[in-house]
Amino acid sequence: MTAATALPAPREPINRWKIAGIVWLAIGYVFLFIPLVVLVLFSFQANKFPALPLQGFSLRWYEKLWRDGTLIDALGHSMIVSPAAATIATILGFLAAYATTRFEFKGKSLLAAFLALPILIPPLILGVAFLGLLARVHLSGTLFSVFLTHVVLITAPAMVVIQLRLAQMPRSLEEAAWDLGATEWQTLRKVVLPFALPGILGGWLLAFTFSFDEFMIAWFVSGFDPTLPVAIYSVLVAMIDPSLNAIGTIVFAISAVALIGIELLLLPYVTEKNVEEE
Amino acid sequence: MAVEPQSPYDLEIRNVSKRFGAATAVDDVSFKVGRGEFVAVMGPSGCGKTTLLRMMAGLEGMSAGRIYIRGRDVSAVPVNLRSTRLVWQNYALFPHLDVFGNIAFGLTLQPYDRPVVSGKVKRMAALVGLTEFLDRRVGQLSGGQKQRVGIARALVTEPEILLLDEPLSALDAHLRLRMQGELRRIQQQLGISFVYVTHNQIEAFSMADRVVVMNKGKIEQIDPPEIIYNFPKTRFVASFVGANNLFEGSVLSHDGAFTTVETREGRLSVLAGDTRPAIGEAVTVVVQADKLTRQPKGILGENTLKATLRGREYAGSQNIYLLDLPTGAEVKLVAQESMAVASRTALNAEVAVHFPAEAATIIGYHRRPPEAVADISEAAE
Amino acid sequence: MTMAAANTIIDIEPAARMRTPNDSPLKIICLAPTLVWFGALFAVPLIALLWAGFWRVENYQTIITFSLENYEQVAANFFAKSRYGLALVQTFWVAITGGIFAVAFAYAVALAIVYAVPQRWQRLALLFAIAPFWSSYILRVYAWQTVLSKNGVVNSFLKMTGLDWARLDVIFTQTATRIGLVHYLAPILIVILYVTLTNIDRAVIEAARDLGSTRWQVFKKIILPLSGFGLTVAGSFAVIIGMGDALCGALLGGGAGQSIIGKVPLFASMLISDYASATNLPRTAALATILVLAMLLVMWASFAIGERVRKATAE
Repeated sequence: MTAATALPAPREPINRWKIAGIVWLAIGYVFLFIPLVVLVLFSFQANKFPALPLQGFSLRWYEKLWRDGTLIDALGHSMIVSPAAATIATILGFLAAYATTRFEFKGKSLLAAFLALPILIPPLILGVAFLGLLARVHLSGTLFSVFLTHVVLITAPAMVVIQLRLAQMPRSLEEAAWDLGATEWQTLRKVVLPFALPGILGGWLLAFTFSFDEFMIAWFVSGFDPTLPVAIYSVLVAMIDPSLNAIGTIVFAISAVALIGIELLLLPYVTEKNVEEE
Repeated sequence: MAVEPQSPYDLEIRNVSKRFGAATAVDDVSFKVGRGEFVAVMGPSGCGKTTLLRMMAGLEGMSAGRIYIRGRDVSAVPVNLRSTRLVWQNYALFPHLDVFGNIAFGLTLQPYDRPVVSGKVKRMAALVGLTEFLDRRVGQLSGGQKQRVGIARALVTEPEILLLDEPLSALDAHLRLRMQGELRRIQQQLGISFVYVTHNQIEAFSMADRVVVMNKGKIEQIDPPEIIYNFPKTRFVASFVGANNLFEGSVLSHDGAFTTVETREGRLSVLAGDTRPAIGEAVTVVVQADKLTRQPKGILGENTLKATLRGREYAGSQNIYLLDLPTGAEVKLVAQESMAVASRTALNAEVAVHFPAEAATIIGYHRRPPEAVADISEAAE
Repeated sequence: MTMAAANTIIDIEPAARMRTPNDSPLKIICLAPTLVWFGALFAVPLIALLWAGFWRVENYQTIITFSLENYEQVAANFFAKSRYGLALVQTFWVAITGGIFAVAFAYAVALAIVYAVPQRWQRLALLFAIAPFWSSYILRVYAWQTVLSKNGVVNSFLKMTGLDWARLDVIFTQTATRIGLVHYLAPILIVILYVTLTNIDRAVIEAARDLGSTRWQVFKKIILPLSGFGLTVAGSFAVIIGMGDALCGALLGGGAGQSIIGKVPLFASMLISDYASATNLPRTAALATILVLAMLLVMWASFAIGERVRKATAE
């Protein structure tokens, strides 16, 4: 024993590839985070143009944002449209996820592909298509049209998250409820819904994020009630306005809250699944 | 209450079949479960026993046949309106409810009286030994406790029959033994029928009044455990139950109380049954592994076979030997003896094994079973 | 005997087929709302889009007919005037080169996460890498504008530190477009490639090391071939997204950004400006249809390549 402890532990040889990997990862993170850091940093600086050197802490861009009102109004529009669209999408997504998880029917994979299609088709094409339809039925140019089209876009992500959760529900759980005398509706309400709840919340947040950040479709169909990304775009093409940094920081904060929510809700059972696979 | 047709049976399965596409999972199965009877349905995996149980519960439709519960035809009654309750192998407890909520689930589906439900749940929890766990989350329970919740949740709704689908197979050996005793106690205390599906013959034999042995969707034998063990009716039952040695051959002669069978391993003398096979008929001879004994080498008398010792397993007070016959057939021998005795014979040594003619039977031609274990369903018919 | 009689009485009523859990009204109730919504607001507009390409506009009035006028116009201007054809070439060029950069960047990051980061930090490292995905896309593009612009963050930093000679003149070129695209695509690609790499059995790598391979040989002979399919998926995904994207081209490429092809806008940017200036929906629909066809071509090509790679690495 003493001999063993007296021996110095053999040093592991330095792995140059590992060091290179860590360095590359650091560069990668810098690249990935630079825009976000710049945006937040300059929202709190007095600089008129986002450039160095920094001119000191200031909240003037937030004040300007407030005085102008356009972007704040647009944020208000987004905060109406996105939660509403996310809610409807989550309901549709839950029902569809439940049906595809529980029932066997012909064309099931075809249905899944159809519902996922809106994410695969570029928003540019979808935007033109939606506009073409909505203009014909005189529904374009309102927040309501953004709501209608966003639901199509964000139902699939919500559904996938809920499906992920429902896939973890053993089939016997529902059967047990029926066997104990519950009707299908009672089972849905008392067993399936509580079980799916984390998935439903996660799905809602994901759908909300997708809708909240969506620009292209909203640009085509929103008209005089722009959502926030559309309003940002119109400011952006017109001039350099550091209030964009301020609104950007606010948006990041909202997204970050949603993101943390998603991570907290989804991560436990995403990792759970991985453990099973290993 | 409506006048119900009285039936001496809790459950009657009549000519039930289930086909999935071209495959037949359950093939024309019929049997009856008497009042308060404990019936085990046993067979290898894929024999259709779980499908049969699910049809009883109403979770699976039937392709043909009828199911009666206490004389009522329930074939078209959906699962939630049947008076059967199922206990699951994987427990299927509701993870978002605590133990109380799980047990009370079936009682709270219609308008209910809170104190009544609470009283029933507490009484049932006491019966299965869960009283101090009522406010636990089900995730915090051990496997045995979970299955108690599963049983209590089903029994609290006062079913007419309890169906159990391999309820103990997820538990460790020690707990399984304890739970077997408890299940039998609960069943006798409440006096309701249990239909217990398992692939484990020890469970089936130690708890059931009668055992239904199934293979490939068909029933092979329905009898009390002792009869199944000692007098297997078919070759499948003989090979599936216990540790039996089988010898294929043809009948050579009948000689008083004994029959001689010509097999590849040699001429075997077997105790004759109540009915006798024709001379020349192909038959299978069954000898239980613990009826075989080792003989000093060289003395080759009646029912004595030369063999080579290939494997040896010490299981406490008994030794299990695996031997090869010169024909390549394998026999199993179980002997009550110490390790010291066993180690005297070296592996790969030549030995001789013997069994008395009284210990061998021909499948399908048995002696009358002892009167004490008369089959109640046969008595009723 | 008495019970047999009782049973015959019950038998008179033939048993109805039992409703099994699979034939429930819930099946239709659950699927109908989604199908109606998607049918009315997704299938109909998409089909209408293909159809609208054949409409005409006269005196600011849309006329529903079947005319090839839009396509003829586009064909006539393919390499002249509006130069739709060049825009399409520019789109392919930028999307493919941008896709290659994005995959290379993301693959290196995924490799670093899987093989250089200790096991228990890997998940956190991955989360960190995909975090930008959750921030607003348009704001990220805007932020890149401020970073890359003539007197932006990078150039003013270089000026401050006296490295003025190294100043970056990329804004309003297709290089800036690619930077924006790589940044947009990287998080998704990192996830795809991370999953690919974690699916490679570590025992295989250890076996190769045990048989005497150097780390570089392990990468070349084991990891790279086994990530072939993942790389193809990531690559085609990147190209397809890149082709459909309009924001980077408009805001970072400045509309008609400089590239090897010349000062030509991306097809998507052209489509948007075309619509914004003329509000000619039928012509926009025709252009969108052309873009869809181009993307289908890429999808078909990448599917063919992917199948080949998959077959080559399948056991």
